[in-house]
Amino acid sequence: MNLGFGAIPRALAFIVLALALCGVIFELAGYSALLMFEAILEGAFLRAGGWAQSLRWGLPLFITATGVAISFRCGFFNIGAQGQFYIGAICAAFVTHLLAGAPAALVLPVTFLAGMAGGALWALWPGYLRLRSGTDEVITTLMGNFIAALVLVYVTSGPLKDPSGTGQQAASPLLPAVYRISDSQGISPAIIGIAAAVALAMWVLVNRTPFGMLASLAGRNPTMVRFQGARLWTLGLSSFVISGALAGLAGTVELLGPTGRIASGFLPGHGFTAVLIALVANLSVFATAVVSLFFGGLASAAIYLPILAGLPAAAIDIFNAAVALFITAKSGLLDRLLRMAKLPT
Amino acid sequence: MVGQNGAGKTTFARVAAGLVRPDAGSLDIDGRPLRLGRVAGARAAGVELVHQSFALPPSFTVAEALEFGAGGGIGLYGRRQLLRRCRERLAALDLDVDPRRRIRDLPVEAQQGVEIARALVTDAKLLILDEPTAVLPPSGIEALFERIRGLRRHGVTVILILHKIREVLAVADTVSVLRGGRLVAGPIPREGADEAGIAQMIIGGAEVASADGDDTAALVGARQVGSAGARGTREEPPPAAREAVLSLASVSTAKEPEEPALDRVSLSVAPGEIVGVAGVQGNGQRTLVKTIAGLADAVDGDIRLGGSRANRASPAQRRALGLRVIPFERNSEGLSLTSALWENWSVRELMRRPLLSLVDPAALRRQCDKSLKAWGVHYAHAAQNAGALSGGNAQKVILAREIDADARLIIAAQPARGLDIGATAFVWSALREAAGRGCGVLLISSDLDELFDISDRLVVMLSGGIAGTFAPPYDLAAVGRAMTGASA
Repeated sequence: MNLGFGAIPRALAFIVLALALCGVIFELAGYSALLMFEAILEGAFLRAGGWAQSLRWGLPLFITATGVAISFRCGFFNIGAQGQFYIGAICAAFVTHLLAGAPAALVLPVTFLAGMAGGALWALWPGYLRLRSGTDEVITTLMGNFIAALVLVYVTSGPLKDPSGTGQQAASPLLPAVYRISDSQGISPAIIGIAAAVALAMWVLVNRTPFGMLASLAGRNPTMVRFQGARLWTLGLSSFVISGALAGLAGTVELLGPTGRIASGFLPGHGFTAVLIALVANLSVFATAVVSLFFGGLASAAIYLPILAGLPAAAIDIFNAAVALFITAKSGLLDRLLRMAKLPT
Repeated sequence: MVGQNGAGKTTFARVAAGLVRPDAGSLDIDGRPLRLGRVAGARAAGVELVHQSFALPPSFTVAEALEFGAGGGIGLYGRRQLLRRCRERLAALDLDVDPRRRIRDLPVEAQQGVEIARALVTDAKLLILDEPTAVLPPSGIEALFERIRGLRRHGVTVILILHKIREVLAVADTVSVLRGGRLVAGPIPREGADEAGIAQMIIGGAEVASADGDDTAALVGARQVGSAGARGTREEPPPAAREAVLSLASVSTAKEPEEPALDRVSLSVAPGEIVGVAGVQGNGQRTLVKTIAGLADAVDGDIRLGGSRANRASPAQRRALGLRVIPFERNSEGLSLTSALWENWSVRELMRRPLLSLVDPAALRRQCDKSLKAWGVHYAHAAQNAGALSGGNAQKVILAREIDADARLIIAAQPARGLDIGATAFVWSALREAAGRGCGVLLISSDLDELFDISDRLVVMLSGGIAGTFAPPYDLAAVGRAMTGASA
């Protein structure tokens, strides 16, 4: 039975190839590849608190990436995770603002619901347009990202503006500690629990329910599923909504957890890294968890690169780009390499 | 050249056209050895192949396809000049096609004509047609043969790859038989050809144990015109008195982009009855299947499934009433080729449960294994992709899914297309067994031999309507007239 473990060696192959390519590039540019690898390893996992930092970045990424995988599995390329993440965070921030002073036991559940609803809504309209009139969801969700980023600028410099802000970056006021689910170090049992619940629920949904199985069949051949009597509307729109809701949940976690506020343009690469993670993990929930931790590790190592290897922190972006390169090339070179190595693709 | 599917006919053609490089041996054209495995070499020697599945780019216009289909040289082209040259070529072949139309918009007959015209652009001396009749109605086949006779008069040598003896004897000078990749006999001159003997050579041995003599004749298309329709010898006459499992009363649909709409179609299928739907492709058969399956809306008329009105029933509700569909397109409508076999098989089970209930994939896989084994599917393991199976095996997977104990009405659309003789006989006997258990079967086919052999009743579709109803013994000429709309 396929638990999704098969996706792990494939994901590792992507990462190893991308690291090797980056190593070559940095060597040619006069940096030490060995030092780079060391900095990544050191920064992500070996240094004191490295694991906590990797989880801090990795868990929200995992939540969003799982959502991306859900919609991709159903054949819908919702690449609007970034926008759904923002809108979710914005909705959640409004709730905390409106309910300020109420007990946390009331505020927190409502905030989570609002965040997920916001993300879901931001995925619902592209989904509706796609299923109703075939509007390309890649375009609409991509445009949705820009709209959401502008809404974020407006909200943080308007209705939710922090009056004591420095003016450098528009942001909402920092949440009172009573509403936070973690300190700014960003890792707590609550966040781990949320990620674990998402992992379990999504794994069951994908692998153990007619919805998950039919949706993934529909992703590969919608015509066949239609002939079998399934309703693409239900499967597709639900996939969009779930994927948006998870991105919104990740936004809420960031707001209530490590970031503690929303700021214009915060975590700008979150949604795109999540798309990358989902693809590297071959849309398997289990592999998504593993790959997310790795990318979380990379994010946590970013501050270590200048210190240890003299590389700019942006070197991580180059690595991400290398992964993306191998994903787009997967049908050719990588598959052949994997075949040679007798690894399941 | 005749032989079953898998006998090596297409491979032979591909070797001659330079698409496949043989491991050993040589090939001479006009006494000169051909450089093997090179399309350009074969073209230069005058060999052209018209593929079984058409190979012209669907988005090209006819003129573009003719000009660039053979991969010509570099140059500047004007639209007028292209059109003029194309008109000349089409006229030389007596083809009435507008050169400005796109390939994908042409009816199959015209597409095939353009394929042939394309092959002749390079002044081919040897033209190989791979199963050219498979897509044509009887009248189209006669027109094709007339065209081939014309080519012969112009000195073109034609190798026709067919699998119906009747067709071969209507046009060929000699017959060669391939079986299992070997030349079994030939060239046999037409005058000395013995139909029964050739049929035996094609089938070889006792491979088709389940087929009776009548089936065998139908399978190789050996039955003489006029004597068709010996079916109806089943002991029990179809119980028309019982309530129909399907009845359409004057059903019409809205216009679909690619298919004629249904135009006041009335037909019914009784339990245990096999009703054949004959007709040239593109006369509304696809719309008929979609309308019954609930994928296209009836704007007028009554659809009843098992006695209850089903006009507004969803596809899922209709399936729950016992409707099963073996769709036209095995590889797109029937199966998801990139999904595992067990997933493909399980859809029926999954559809019966609430979307958010828990299922046990291991149990589904076991059920799938059991079912596929019972249907004699050859496969390695249930997790392999459906795309890895051959056409016959893939069709058996669909049969295993669609013919279950709860099936009341089976729509079988071209269920034996592209299958070899053994698999075809298997599909036929599966449909008969289902009918024997009381299922109604609606068999849609463009193969009259198939329809005549297994249908209890036959309706002919023309331009979205029913052009005639026939009972055995069938009169080929009358059915053919109904198919083409000729007055009786």
